[in-house]
Amino acid sequence: MHRVSDSRVIDADLLDSLTVPARQGDYARDSRAFVRIDTSLRVYWHTLFDICPGLLELSGPDGLAIFRPFMTWADEQKLSLNWTYYLWVDVWLQQSAFRDQIEVELRYALMGASAARWATGDRSEAQGIVLGAADLPNLVCGWKTVTLEGGREIEQIELEAPLPTPDGSHGYFLVPSRSLDDGFPGWSPIPR
Amino acid sequence: MRIGFNYTLGDTAPLVRRLLDSGRIDYVELLIDNFLSVPPEEMAQGFGAPVSFHIMFSKFIENDDAALDSMAIRLRRLIDLLKPLYVSDHIARFNHEGRQLYHLAEIDYITDYEQVRCRVDWWQQKLGCRLHLENYPSIMDGGRDAPHFHERLHRDTGAGVLFDVSNAVCAHLNCGLPLEAWEGIIERSSHFHVAGYNLSILAPHLVVDTHDRMLSEETLGFLERYRARFNTAGSTMTYERDDNFVETEIEHDLDRLRDLFDRSSVEAFDAPRV
Repeated sequence: MHRVSDSRVIDADLLDSLTVPARQGDYARDSRAFVRIDTSLRVYWHTLFDICPGLLELSGPDGLAIFRPFMTWADEQKLSLNWTYYLWVDVWLQQSAFRDQIEVELRYALMGASAARWATGDRSEAQGIVLGAADLPNLVCGWKTVTLEGGREIEQIELEAPLPTPDGSHGYFLVPSRSLDDGFPGWSPIPR
Repeated sequence: MRIGFNYTLGDTAPLVRRLLDSGRIDYVELLIDNFLSVPPEEMAQGFGAPVSFHIMFSKFIENDDAALDSMAIRLRRLIDLLKPLYVSDHIARFNHEGRQLYHLAEIDYITDYEQVRCRVDWWQQKLGCRLHLENYPSIMDGGRDAPHFHERLHRDTGAGVLFDVSNAVCAHLNCGLPLEAWEGIIERSSHFHVAGYNLSILAPHLVVDTHDRMLSEETLGFLERYRARFNTAGSTMTYERDDNFVETEIEHDLDRLRDLFDRSSVEAFDAPRV
């Protein structure tokens, strides 16, 4: 392990480390760089476990048994950590030592969290998103707010006639208005 | 000085209404890009008070032109309709090599300057208005380059600074940037932010911009020292709170701000700005 000096370090010098827990150890624990990386990692941690606390029942209260290996894997896979963050956690869980302990409710919670992240973070003109998983029957929809005092809405939809299965682990499609009446346009693979 | 409160999404609407009703705030700062899916007519009814626009996720330095063109059309419609007191945006890195940074990163104020200048020119043209760009709550040494960067950017593009008072205090405590380094910018600015920050859990000599607690004594001291320069015709001060919405704390902070600037209006008559 090499130690990086804390003399004249700017944020841009730390960009490669801001999402990778293992790289925090490259810096002395009392350095500003260490604190800066920690500040960044904490936001990813809270974004995951505050929204899906059910994950802590698998990992233990500090979440690290999930967080650290997932973030390392996300780095290797070059994931964008965009609105699909939670969906890729689901993918990782399915291939982890936790795979036999994952309840369906937790998987829908992860899909709902991704739909919510899309609904609050997307800036396109689309009004909604529909998510499907290859091995789950229900769809999860996320809708942007349409009132100043409202918020995004998430709903789970049980279909009478199931849609085709997405090719990958999950699929999505965007909805231009607040209605599903326009029919099924086909699944898009979730972005990395 | 007009005092405002930031509004990001529905949960705090009742609080905002109470703050308006009690006269503690004069306007509402809307995190406007959170509301691009709300019909403009509904936005126009709003809170029945003046508004300002704070753009959070345009990512105008790094986003693609087509996405920004689409956003600009919708923002301009709202700017024309609601006539905000100011329109502000952020200078920061939102992505690194295709990966989203959830805690935004500070740009390199020296090597990134030309790119940022071009994008500010372009984004101002698209929005059809002057932008006010917020200073970053620096932790690392690059923060020491921020005042000169903002002065240069103002000279080259006409963009103003949305001067975040507590962000400047964070940069002072973290990387030793003197508060006095911002004097020229404060002198030219009319729109300000202020919020609480927290001590770092790992290293309590460092601070992190958290917007979850009351204003620090350092921030209040800074405001006190420069109050006549902050408090000019048309000036605004937005109090930001994004977590831990303890209403009595928020009211107390807003009352302190109101007292401070009411007092400075009286004193400023005898104490011309220097």
